[in-house]
Amino acid sequence: MTVLAAPRALRAAIATTPDPGEDVRLLETREFLPGRYLLRWAAAGIARRVRPGQFVHVMAPRTAGLLLPAVPVAGFDRAAEQITLLLSKEDGSALLALRPGDVARFDGPLGRGFEVDPRSRFLLVVTDTDGLARVRACVDEAVATSRQVALLLGARTIAEVPPSSLLPDEAEYVIATEDGSLGQRGGIAELVASYEAWADQCFVAGSDGLLRRVAKLAAGRDARMGVARLGRKRGRRPVRGASPRRRLTWLQVALPHEVGCALGVCLGCVVRGVDSQLRTCREGPAFAAPELRWELDQ
Amino acid sequence: MTLDLAVELAPNRPGRLRLRHPVLVAAGGAGYGNELIEAVAEQKPAAIITRSVTREARTGNRPPRMAGLPDALLSSVGLQNPGLEAVLHRQAPRWAASDVPIIVSICADNADDISAMARTLDMRPDASGLELNLACPDRGRHGEPIGHDVAAAETATVAARAVTDLPLIVKLIAGAPDVRIIARAVAAAGADAISAIGPVPALALDRDRAGARLGTAYGGLSGPTIKPIGLRVVYEIAQVVRIPIVGIGGVACLDDVLDYLAVGATAVGIATAALGDPLLPGRLGEELAAWCEAHGVSDTRELTGRALPRRKDRGSLRMGPFGR
Repeated sequence: MTVLAAPRALRAAIATTPDPGEDVRLLETREFLPGRYLLRWAAAGIARRVRPGQFVHVMAPRTAGLLLPAVPVAGFDRAAEQITLLLSKEDGSALLALRPGDVARFDGPLGRGFEVDPRSRFLLVVTDTDGLARVRACVDEAVATSRQVALLLGARTIAEVPPSSLLPDEAEYVIATEDGSLGQRGGIAELVASYEAWADQCFVAGSDGLLRRVAKLAAGRDARMGVARLGRKRGRRPVRGASPRRRLTWLQVALPHEVGCALGVCLGCVVRGVDSQLRTCREGPAFAAPELRWELDQ
Repeated sequence: MTLDLAVELAPNRPGRLRLRHPVLVAAGGAGYGNELIEAVAEQKPAAIITRSVTREARTGNRPPRMAGLPDALLSSVGLQNPGLEAVLHRQAPRWAASDVPIIVSICADNADDISAMARTLDMRPDASGLELNLACPDRGRHGEPIGHDVAAAETATVAARAVTDLPLIVKLIAGAPDVRIIARAVAAAGADAISAIGPVPALALDRDRAGARLGTAYGGLSGPTIKPIGLRVVYEIAQVVRIPIVGIGGVACLDDVLDYLAVGATAVGIATAALGDPLLPGRLGEELAAWCEAHGVSDTRELTGRALPRRKDRGSLRMGPFGR
């Protein structure tokens, strides 16, 4: 029987059946830092559709707790039909107990990812060790589309710096540590100014403090930076939050989030936006920085 | 043997709120219903109670609003909603096309708003019923929930009952000093059914113990952790009122459904567990049917109240669980 030959009612029923997710096979688990793991999966459907900043819901194996864990997609290879997740032992994910060859079930990709302007040639990614999983896929996107990309990573000490093998060779990897044990001494946000004029767009994920500092730096400067320099198309300015408007924004951020339903109904993952409440699972987790009310909650 | 899982939630209004089986989605488990209805082709819940709606729009509490705990969820949404008119404008047209009854949950801090909302809903053919959530802070009583006070609960119920013929479910909260008195009062004031319980006030700390995990500090605890509290409340209410009870709190599997029925619930509501598994309410309805067939039960009324004390023993009801 083919779906096309099915009666209209049956086709309608098939169409309204919720996406049951995708069976994905674990290819590799690698501990890249003590307690932090890279998991590579054969996941053809997700790899085909995913965009940087999106996440998957882990439907199986179930982790303790009521809600399905939401895990950011940290990397993808569309040609090889693979995705990468970065997990920490503290997450307590049941995925860490799996061995290569085991099968899990993911629902996704979910949420709205980063918007990369087609005209952007130079991408800046800023993060810390905890935020790396949420923005690392921007590097894959940049390499896959022949853009130049620099990843600035901040950590407390050298022991928390992920190895450069996590990134493709084409990416520039810049490190700052608070104790000066590797790279520049101090916070990574201080390095952003050096790349500000070079980058057409900037993507950030990490601690609250890092997000605030970079947002403060970028606030009000869109007019002279990045994609804004490349000229604006004629016509009406798109509304705040729309994809074309996000693409024009120099700074986009991926917020950490605890997702409830991922359908947008529980309102548990809401953050305060400039115009309205924004659901991290639907309007995010990636946002243009000017959409958010930084002073109050971010 | 013919299996009859149907339950009547408003026996005084025959046929107005007859459910196919006793497992429904409680408020908070499926937004305003349409998201779930559109996603579920089969395994439909018996009914959907919408997220609580207020007369005017509310922006809700400051984030973070949710903290996942082992076997529980702490949340503090703060009644974020666009207001009743907006909900009806955006959502209600699709309710009418669904064969799943939609019960609209309303919440207000004064009788005027309750009356106004109930009157508005009374004129809508797409709402199958009304749930009056008594968890809202009472404007006249320094923010104490309406459901903590007998007179306030009674006034709220009368305010809704007087202006609508819709089946009226009144949702009680677990923190009332004696929930039995409140239950009696709302039943006498015209409630067709009672639902209990809502989330239980609680607190969780962040990893560094430097503060609360939620933006508002306190949140409402839900999930399997609160099931024993829900069972206690339903057990107490079932012994003092004769109207149907919707048992809510920590339902995540068939055993939980059977437990709530055993302590006197006519139907069972699922909210938190439905967030992670939207098909759960419909699936538990099917599992309950299979269980009944396997155990020779032809009507769920046979299961309701099996764990309650026999009538002659109910003299002890004057004493509550802590001897009060």
